[in-house]
Amino acid sequence: MFLAWNEIQKNKLRFVLITGVLMLVAYLVFFLSGLATGLKDLNRESVDKWKASGIVLTEESDKSLYQSSMSIEQLDDVQADETAILGQLSAIAGNGEEKANVSIFGIREDEFIMPEVTEGDAFTGDNEVIADSSLKESGFIVGDELQLSSSEEKLKIVGFTDKGRFNASPVLYTDLDTLQRVKFGEGAQTNADRINAIVIKGDMLDDLINDEKLEVVEIETFIENLPGYTEQNLTLTFMIYFLFAISAIIVAIFLYVLTVQKISMFGVMKAQGISNLYLSKSVIAQTFILAAIGVLVGLGLTLVTGAFLPAAVPVSFDIPTMLIYGSVLILVAIIGAVFSVLTIVRIDPLKAIGG
Amino acid sequence: MTTVLELKQVTKTFGSGHKKVEALKETDFEAKRGELIAIIGPSGSGKSTFLTIVGGLLSPTSGEVILNGQNVTEMSEKQRSHIRLQEIGFILQASNLIPFLTVAKQMKLLDKVKKNNMTGDEIEQLYEDLGIGELRGKYPSDLSGGERQRVAIAKSLYSNPSILLADEPTASLDSDRAYEVMELLQRETKSKNTTSIVVTHDTRLISYCDKVYNMTDGVLKLYEENA
Ligand SMILES: Nc1ncnc2c1ncn2[C@@H]1O[C@H](COP(=O)(O)OP(=O)(O)OP(=O)(O)O)[C@@H](O)[C@H]1O
Ligand SMILES: [Mg+2]
Repeated sequence: MFLAWNEIQKNKLRFVLITGVLMLVAYLVFFLSGLATGLKDLNRESVDKWKASGIVLTEESDKSLYQSSMSIEQLDDVQADETAILGQLSAIAGNGEEKANVSIFGIREDEFIMPEVTEGDAFTGDNEVIADSSLKESGFIVGDELQLSSSEEKLKIVGFTDKGRFNASPVLYTDLDTLQRVKFGEGAQTNADRINAIVIKGDMLDDLINDEKLEVVEIETFIENLPGYTEQNLTLTFMIYFLFAISAIIVAIFLYVLTVQKISMFGVMKAQGISNLYLSKSVIAQTFILAAIGVLVGLGLTLVTGAFLPAAVPVSFDIPTMLIYGSVLILVAIIGAVFSVLTIVRIDPLKAIGG
Repeated sequence: MTTVLELKQVTKTFGSGHKKVEALKETDFEAKRGELIAIIGPSGSGKSTFLTIVGGLLSPTSGEVILNGQNVTEMSEKQRSHIRLQEIGFILQASNLIPFLTVAKQMKLLDKVKKNNMTGDEIEQLYEDLGIGELRGKYPSDLSGGERQRVAIAKSLYSNPSILLADEPTASLDSDRAYEVMELLQRETKSKNTTSIVVTHDTRLISYCDKVYNMTDGVLKLYEENA
């Protein structure tokens, strides 16, 4: 630490540059991770809110809620601790000024997927809905009458709930009857028993269902199969992994160049009997100091930027994930320093002092 | 006087076949406490080879080097590194100072890596002896050649090594400075009762030394002994 810190103090500019580069990489990593978390939330927060263990869909729907259609009576074939029925419809909803892509969930208010109301009231009468609070930011308020793209029916926002987005659209929660009227129009009566899925809580047992046409899908699998979800995630995760590799390489090159410049100095120290261990520890300590400062500043910068971003940008910072990524960055920086350590170990003190 | 260093039938050969160079022919050598020894000789005669073997930086082709009763030749590189740290002080032709440490911190580093550290008073004394007290806040790049060499000597004397090895310590100095440095080496060798071996081209400097050896084509011979 002594050598490491004194060298940094003497050659500030050099080390500020390395730290600066590390900081930018960390900034990018944190931002991408924030974006990844944000995009995940955008897709899954309404599902996470259920705290469910699985969802029953039809076999032929291939794990897609949109394509799954079953009868309410099939509830009898499902043996789970707790169940909740779910009907779904995607639509465009407008209040006269604003329009938004929404997902309408038809549910029973006494079942566990009923959301908690954070503003206004729960739906009680016909055509009343609880809307996701992100719609507030788009200019919707309690009392708004909503026209729908696919129906003559008008819905009325009576309350808001938070964290209610599904597959990138805000959710309107309503009772099943209202959903059927919106969804089937004239045919609502005949289709009154149609639902998309049954959400279940409790242990995921093999013999949960005795209907060959149905399939139990674990919640995580269900989310992964949401359109675009896995692709988005993989893209961002790959970018983050590439950045890890890049920062390791940057650190390796920078430190290696610095080390090569100091070969004769290290040689003299080795001739004087200062051990490889001491010198290596010093290089590692130096890398740690630089990387830690870079990562911390990057983290601070990310949080500051995050606070100033418009709500429309889907970033959400998950501190535990960021701490893990930060640690990984410091770790790969140290791996990058290993080259320099090897160089130091290989220095022949005799050559360095030159006879 | 106790013998500090002993070389027994030491040889060093570089390369093999017709490229073979016998840099050091069979050499017996002894140095005692309190002795300042000079080694002179033409370029390429083997002086540095001799010094690096004594310093445990180079392994001899045959023979034994015994320092303070320990056989250095049989040691692993790690053990030799340890011996260099604890028992040997090196002064090199080029500055062996660390560019990013102030004079005081150069000492502090030794304090960190060595055993038997000097007390604050002893370090003060060392500064005073070498006349570098004023320089302690300065970086090597802000020192003159002579000042740098004095700091280097201070470093090599830190915590009283058994033996001090200097390879042309005055090469980069003008003659006044060179005399100053030699005088200093003489004084420190006597007062600390250590052993110093100085390689030099400059025959004017040998008057400071107790013994002078001459190296020619790898053969070391006693040249002069000042009583
Ligand atoms: N690593 C080596 N490989 C091959 N030959 C070497 C090596 N080191 C030294 N020699 C040879 O050994 C001989 C003695 O070299 P040495 O460096 O000891 O000379 P020197 O007396 O210190 O010379 P100078 O006064 O110029 O420093 C020279 O002929 C040199 O070429
Ligand atoms: Mg030489």
